[in-house]
Amino acid sequence: MMIVKRLAWTVIVVWFAITATFVMATMIPANPARTLLGPHSTPDAIHRVEAYYCLDRGFAGRYACYVGNIVKGDLGESYRSKRPVAAIIADHLWPTVQLALAAILLQLIVGVPLGVLAAIRRNRWQDHAANVVSLLGQSAPAFVTATLAMYVLAYRFGWFPIGGYGDGLASRLHHLVLPAATLAATGIAYYARIVRTEMIDVLGEDFIRTARAKGLAERDVVVKHALRNALGPLVTLIGLDLGVMLGGAVVIEFIFAWPGLGRELLQAVLEVDLPLILGIVLVAAIAIAVANLLVDLVYLWLDPRLRDPT
Amino acid sequence: MRALLALLLVGCQGIDRGPHERAAGHTAPVAGGTLRFATKDAVRTLDPALEFDEVSSYAVHALYDTLVDYAPAVRGDPTSGYAIVPHLAERYEISPDGKTYHFWLRPGIAFSDGTPVAAEAFAYALARVREKPDSPFATFLADVAAVTTPSPQELVIELAHPNMAFLAVLTMSFATPLRPATMIGTGPFVLEQWDRGRRLILKKNPHYWDAANIHLDRIELLENIPRDVQFLMFERGELDTTERLSSPDYQWIAGRADWAPYVQHRPVMNAFGSRMNVTKPPFDDRRVRQALNYAVDKDHELKLLDGAAVISHGILPPGMFGRDDALAPYPHDPARARALLAAAGYPHGFDLEYVIMNDEQAARLAESVKSDLAEVGVRIRITPMEFASYQTAIGSRTGPAFSKSSHLGDFADPVDFFDLRFGTASIQDQSSNNDSFYSNPELDRLLAAARAEPDREARGQMYRRAERILYDDAPWIWEYHQDMTEVTQPYVAGYAIHPIWMRDFTHAWLDR
Repeated sequence: MMIVKRLAWTVIVVWFAITATFVMATMIPANPARTLLGPHSTPDAIHRVEAYYCLDRGFAGRYACYVGNIVKGDLGESYRSKRPVAAIIADHLWPTVQLALAAILLQLIVGVPLGVLAAIRRNRWQDHAANVVSLLGQSAPAFVTATLAMYVLAYRFGWFPIGGYGDGLASRLHHLVLPAATLAATGIAYYARIVRTEMIDVLGEDFIRTARAKGLAERDVVVKHALRNALGPLVTLIGLDLGVMLGGAVVIEFIFAWPGLGRELLQAVLEVDLPLILGIVLVAAIAIAVANLLVDLVYLWLDPRLRDPT
Repeated sequence: MRALLALLLVGCQGIDRGPHERAAGHTAPVAGGTLRFATKDAVRTLDPALEFDEVSSYAVHALYDTLVDYAPAVRGDPTSGYAIVPHLAERYEISPDGKTYHFWLRPGIAFSDGTPVAAEAFAYALARVREKPDSPFATFLADVAAVTTPSPQELVIELAHPNMAFLAVLTMSFATPLRPATMIGTGPFVLEQWDRGRRLILKKNPHYWDAANIHLDRIELLENIPRDVQFLMFERGELDTTERLSSPDYQWIAGRADWAPYVQHRPVMNAFGSRMNVTKPPFDDRRVRQALNYAVDKDHELKLLDGAAVISHGILPPGMFGRDDALAPYPHDPARARALLAAAGYPHGFDLEYVIMNDEQAARLAESVKSDLAEVGVRIRITPMEFASYQTAIGSRTGPAFSKSSHLGDFADPVDFFDLRFGTASIQDQSSNNDSFYSNPELDRLLAAARAEPDREARGQMYRRAERILYDDAPWIWEYHQDMTEVTQPYVAGYAIHPIWMRDFTHAWLDR
């Protein structure tokens, strides 16, 4: 029952997102037919294109046209490239998924140990160092970290490719390191701070004292007892991050020429390519909604108290 | 932490930033190799009937050959590359009334799959351009009354009205032979691979009629690479050429003795200025428009463009047929500007909005215009807009009266400049190509006569008169023709920036 309710909400959230985007996109004071046809458009050609893309109808007519097609599973055709929006999204979704998963993985394998270290070495130099790193990571904007990383690690040292996507597994991973690391920078810092706070709380609880009193090794106390209990809030964060990142990381994708959805969305907005804008927002909205749904399900599984008693 | 600091220190130390690889010094072209370059934007389409953006044209021009083409550009000659020469057509005749264009195809031309090309393939391609509902080029062929093929080697195009610009129209990539249900072309290269938005690889066409003059095995185009990243990749030797460098990069590389020989720049087929809606006050008074032309300091704009531009006196770029090279640009003369404004009834100037496209260079130039105009009492408020909104706003009769404007020519004939931007027939209430809404019956008559004038000398004379009229009536502030700048690795040979195709690597070779 709970799941059905959640699913219904997901549908409503997605519908709301595309409607809001549609309203905003139609408010852009630009004529997409003109952009599409270029400098030599005649009024005749513009009218023809407007009719072809439902642009000659009123607001309600255009909305019905778009939503009607989406419901039929047809995302339409990009104005500029004349390709089906679904095909464009299919091209760019996988690069975005790789980047998002790599970034989240990095956030976990770097952020969590950093947070644990800061907690168990509380107020010592390791804690302060972790704090400084967190602060830097959280406050430096992506375009700064990305540009610096590219300049020093790729251009100066040549350890990584300057940009691009790569072919084959090894080359792909090599190309993925810098964009994923800079995308993860903020998340690493955030995860580290959350884990530190949670760990400090948990380490002060009675059951930890009990575990220590039983004579368990400190390592087991920290990893098996404290960490496991401190990770709860991370589930929510991972879910949210995954949702947001699947919508595309505009700045990082742009700087590293990573062929993901974010770049496409930016370009589509600049060119008022309505079908493509709506298509990508739809995917992003679905990603966020589904990620939230998964978070809820994981919580239900983790904590039986949340399950509906009826 | 210490490691990180050490890393940063090493990163900041000097490295050798000169060319890594010298030219081998061959005197004759060497066959083989892949030329790699990158573009800031994506290739949109490879369909010659749809492509009108610069990046797509790089690929489309290599894939699809046309009846006639432009002569190759010559390095160091800023007016080269505009002449129209036979290409897939071996020769052509234009009837004295300017209505019949008769082409004889070069023997032995074939599609890249080896099938011989017959004249019907041109007729099919032209019909396709006219019939596609979203064709951006249908207007170019609006005059075509009939296309016939008296023999497989002959193509005859009849026009309803004489149009001496039509030959130039046929240099555009849509005038390429095609067959139904296939996009196989006749160009010097064929498509090997296209990962959309990432990379496009072209391979030499083995069936090309002029294969002996095509030296590269492959051309690799990387899409969507920001310009500063392109420059880093170029310096690292990952690209063979890079263009339109940012101002600091350009100044740096052009000032280095080891790189300077490989830097090229030349004006291409464009014009930049500020257009005024002449139907709206204060621009309905010619003296105001002339005053603003005197007020803007074009030399200062030239400095802001790193010297990579030519100050203009009108819309026709240097090298273009019909341009009067003797006509001097408006001098920077604030006193005269103030006097003209006073005579027009604006002794204290006026306040106005100035719309520009939202990019860094446009903003820098707009600030320069703003301070120049302030000096003569005209106070402008700069409004940046994104491309699509900007285009819609300035094409509207009721939109902003004053804005930055530019014209990028499609084909090298004054018709594409004068008729399109200043002819009365190009005025529309919305999406107006004539966005200064300038209408002058005298100019219209002159342009109509010039369009039909078969005598080239007389036709050129007419356009020089048209230039003079527009210079005096000043619907734009005539500002500059911007150069394209490019730097190649020392071993890139046989390449010069082309005024129309811009980056045409089809005849380049690698001297390694």
